[in-house]
Amino acid sequence: MSRNLRRRFLQQAAVAVAAPYVITARAQETLIVNTQGGEYQELIERVVIRPFEKKYGVRVVHDPTGTASQDYAKIRASRGAPGFDVAGLLTPPEVILGVKEGLLEKLSEREVPNLRHLWDKTWQVIPPGSGAPHTLQYAALVYNKEKLDRPRSWADYWEPQKKYAAKVKGHVIQYNPANLLSVYALIHAAQLGGGGVDNMEPAWQRLKAQKPYVGVVVTGSAEAVPHFENGEVWISPYWSARSGYYIDRGLPFDMVIPDEGASGLFDVACVPVGAKNKKLAYEFLNWRLDPAIQREWALAYFSSPTRPGVELPAKFAANQITTKEQIAKTQFPDSDVIGARRKDWTVKWQEIMG
Amino acid sequence: MARDHGVIGSAAPAAARQSGRVPWLLIAAPTAVLLLFFALPNALLLSASFVKSEAQQLTNELTLENYQFLFTRPLYIWAFIRTFIVGTAVGAIDVLLGFPLAYFLVRTRSRWKGLLIALALAPLLASVVVRTYGWYILLNRYGVANDLLVSLGLLDERIAFMPSTGAIIVGLAHALLPYTVLTIMGSLQGINPNLEAAAMSLGASRTRTFFHVVLPLSFPGIAGGFILAFSIAISAYATPAILGGPATQVMATAIYGFMTQLLDWSIGAALAVILVVCAVTLAYAAARLGARQAAL
Repeated sequence: MSRNLRRRFLQQAAVAVAAPYVITARAQETLIVNTQGGEYQELIERVVIRPFEKKYGVRVVHDPTGTASQDYAKIRASRGAPGFDVAGLLTPPEVILGVKEGLLEKLSEREVPNLRHLWDKTWQVIPPGSGAPHTLQYAALVYNKEKLDRPRSWADYWEPQKKYAAKVKGHVIQYNPANLLSVYALIHAAQLGGGGVDNMEPAWQRLKAQKPYVGVVVTGSAEAVPHFENGEVWISPYWSARSGYYIDRGLPFDMVIPDEGASGLFDVACVPVGAKNKKLAYEFLNWRLDPAIQREWALAYFSSPTRPGVELPAKFAANQITTKEQIAKTQFPDSDVIGARRKDWTVKWQEIMG
Repeated sequence: MARDHGVIGSAAPAAARQSGRVPWLLIAAPTAVLLLFFALPNALLLSASFVKSEAQQLTNELTLENYQFLFTRPLYIWAFIRTFIVGTAVGAIDVLLGFPLAYFLVRTRSRWKGLLIALALAPLLASVVVRTYGWYILLNRYGVANDLLVSLGLLDERIAFMPSTGAIIVGLAHALLPYTVLTIMGSLQGINPNLEAAAMSLGASRTRTFFHVVLPLSFPGIAGGFILAFSIAISAYATPAILGGPATQVMATAIYGFMTQLLDWSIGAALAVILVVCAVTLAYAAARLGARQAAL
């Protein structure tokens, strides 16, 4: 045995002997990941968390409580140490606020190499390196196909009496602007009347006109589902991912991208500045953006990947944003402006709906 | 002996000093807890309520704008009014329902008395969220109440019992009834039965005895039960959120909205300060009234 060979043999033997201890030491590591409950909990644990545990030999504690804004409120109240290492489901308004308040770790490709593969547009929506956008979906319209004809425009939701007459009365749903879905729908209402984030007056006019037709008012998107199921709600704006999920499970609804287009939303995973296990948190974020996990997640959650080049079945991809052209066409409302004006919009919405 | 006297002589003041310290030591722990978990957070809320917030971020600028914002919008003035309507109605309903129940439970000689008391308090075993969803199932447009009324022909079209202030009152009155019953029971148990016997032996009817002896003597319990139900009702969040929805706001749901949904902590803090000040003032006034009635 030559000297080199002997050295290599000894090195490999040392690695083999030490390996179980290294894995055991890693197994002691615990990562706390916050997302949300319901069907999301089952999906993320099956598709993302358990495979991550298996691959890295670590333990992940999944905290499924709270919405994006509630999770950010925890981060703020604890000055960046909310008790979880990954805020797994923030939306752009919270991410932008988190960067301004210095409560989220700045990421680079050194910590999260897969960041380099994201759509270029990502960093126009959220500040560069502020988080790892892992899910792309859009606000579309859903309707009960047993009760209504297919809507074509956002106007069919905002002025339902024009297309569906009196039969739709009491079967329209409204969401509190505390939910980003409501904000996006209101922006579309404003755009119908020539306005936008800088002029929401046309949205308030449409809200007033729509009010007599509204039968259900909720805050969270998940709260709407029982009303879809019991036949109370026939038409609604809704997130494309969840729509696909529920329709696939037999809800008699269909999803439509209105003629005016849809508004896109990135779900973003971030690391609070006071996270205990940042190194593993970065690995989790990188895992979330891995092409194989992106594909599995997109198929499970009926969402679009946040990076180009992820192969999806053609029929599935037809309802997703997967090309550069589609990304360019998708509207991403200015989350900085939304954050700044959301309070005033919410107050106005409550004054009309109260 | 002298030595003994000396020992006794020096031990007595020491024991007195020690016994003098005992009450202070006993209240030290609860005082510390109250200071740490009630006074300090409320002081922080108070200070945050005078800080200006811009684009969801607290600034260093002191202002009264947060209060001005709340007191100049009918939406929030209505949320204050609705909160106190809910608190008063829940307190009154619980006293009206709770008094006869408490009276029966205290006076019954049934061998099932223990079981009956346990049954009266059983709702406390279920989470308020579970109980509230029970009402949701009953009251929603496609719920049991509508099914029943439509099938009996009393309704042509389904109506929305909720979201509404009425639904919030019903849900909270149900949830808080055991607290009122317990408080009134404590008061009724303290009434000497001989007083009633004495009144009746002097010719008072059962009704007159009730209204002139039992009711006045139980007033501290009634006031206590009312205050308890009122205080919990005006600060309740889960029941108003579920049965009132986002368009029927009370102060607790509005505070929650500003703190965790809109992330505007200045206005959330101002609302919380208003709620605490109103609640403490009204509870103090009700307690004084109860004490005065009891003294009469």
